[in-house]
Amino acid sequence: MTASILSTAPATRTSNVRAAKGLMLRGLHAIVRLPSAFFPAILMPIFQSIAFSGTFFAITKVPGFPTDRSINWFMPLGVLMGSAFSGVGLGFSLIRDLETGFFDRLRMSPSPRNSLILGPMFTAWFRTLIVVTVVMGVGFMLGAKLSGGVLGVLVLFLAAMGIATIATGWGLGLAYIFKDMRGAAIMQLGLFMSMFLSTAQAPLNVMTGWLHTVASINPITNILRMARQGFLNRTVNGVTVGGTVTWANTWPGLLAMIVLSSLMLFFARRGLNRLDK
Amino acid sequence: MTAAVLSDTRDFSRSTETRHVWQQTIAMSRRSVLAIVRQPALVIPSLVFPLFFAALGSSSFSKATQLPGFPKVDSFLALTLAASVLQGVLFGSVNGGAALAVDIETGFFDRLLASPTSRISILVGRLAGSAMFGAAQALFFTFVMIAFGVNVRAGVGGVIVIAIAGGLIGMSIGGFMAAMALRTGSAEAVQGIFPLLFVSMFFSSAFFPRETMQGVYRSIANWNPMSHLYEGMRDLVISGWSVGAVAKALLIPVAIGFISIPLALMALRRRLRAV
Repeated sequence: MTASILSTAPATRTSNVRAAKGLMLRGLHAIVRLPSAFFPAILMPIFQSIAFSGTFFAITKVPGFPTDRSINWFMPLGVLMGSAFSGVGLGFSLIRDLETGFFDRLRMSPSPRNSLILGPMFTAWFRTLIVVTVVMGVGFMLGAKLSGGVLGVLVLFLAAMGIATIATGWGLGLAYIFKDMRGAAIMQLGLFMSMFLSTAQAPLNVMTGWLHTVASINPITNILRMARQGFLNRTVNGVTVGGTVTWANTWPGLLAMIVLSSLMLFFARRGLNRLDK
Repeated sequence: MTAAVLSDTRDFSRSTETRHVWQQTIAMSRRSVLAIVRQPALVIPSLVFPLFFAALGSSSFSKATQLPGFPKVDSFLALTLAASVLQGVLFGSVNGGAALAVDIETGFFDRLLASPTSRISILVGRLAGSAMFGAAQALFFTFVMIAFGVNVRAGVGGVIVIAIAGGLIGMSIGGFMAAMALRTGSAEAVQGIFPLLFVSMFFSSAFFPRETMQGVYRSIANWNPMSHLYEGMRDLVISGWSVGAVAKALLIPVAIGFISIPLALMALRRRLRAV
């Protein structure tokens, strides 16, 4: 008995990965077949980076602001917002599948349950790679200055993948609960609130009042700090100062990503279990 | 004698017709307002989101008010009042246009056309509804901000001008939305315009003063009528009563309406021809 369980364990892992890969490819095909569903995830962060860095340019003049270029501050925010919407977009796709009955066919197939969550998560990661690359490219064209080198880019990619995982779990969990487009508004609202109730617009030392308290305890603040650190530089007498990647600015972000991702993926799995019942 | 009787009859029927048009317009306006009030899911975001942004802005950017280029204000919240009005009314007008498109999609518009309803009252009623909702939103934001310590320096007169401006913005932007609804007959297409309106707000001085912007961005904000409209309402709040501020707050939406309402009328005529 034990031997048979042991012998099936690797097979289950393989079929999990294979099924997840199949679902991931389906999600990637959807980018080509239904570009209108994916383009907002790219256009929105580009617009946000341009609009915020232009409108709030003067905020960099406030004493204590960590960079003298507004695009350095707002581009990583745009990247993370785009990644979040790439993830939550898979919640919208799931709602469509639930409404058309395609998801019932998936549930009837012998694909492992975990693959129904892992597949969309892999899709979100792939979409995030596109979003980060494009938005970062636009950011550099608009004058963003990276001083953290390869590590600075790496932590931005990592943070974006983390946010995409959190958003995927959140989107899938809500889609399983609501099973229709009512869930879509809550998906977006939840993400929007959690992102903006952090250091999205200004650093903690520049904030005042209630938002300072909320942003201090919001784990998204740590993820944003991790994502931005390679860009938080100033030019003093023609020399770029600051903006190096440190472990102190990285580990709280990593921890927040791991905890939030685990919670959200557990939330999605619980929703799927409830749907099965 | 016969001629006199005929002329009297004509005058009577014309005045009756005019009265009917008014009655129908009032009925359509009432329907438009009720449709908004009965759908809190549509109304609440247009009230909550601008307040959320105002609260975020006042906590995030209050230290920026000390920078050169910023007008002298008691708090950042005073600067956000006009922006909240503008933002809320834009949200609201999109909903009004979308409701007209839904009428077309569901066939209610065709039933109106089949009835002896005045054609113009269908559009004017909708725009009047948007104007009333816009004015109500402006008053709502003003009272909420006053409760949080904002002092409208232009006093009661200033509050009235802001409310009228809210109504005029609702009507003028509602004109664009109605034109889109009548032309496409699709609520989704009307909702699709919202990002454009949002962009036009961001490329204006609605969130930060023009004096603090640079380069191309500042040039766009200088040309954008939204900047001047916002600044008119803002000056009533932070500086007090002035003819320039009142003129900007009231005349710019009127000027926008001179473009948008004829566009809506043209779209209505086109749709009527197609029926």
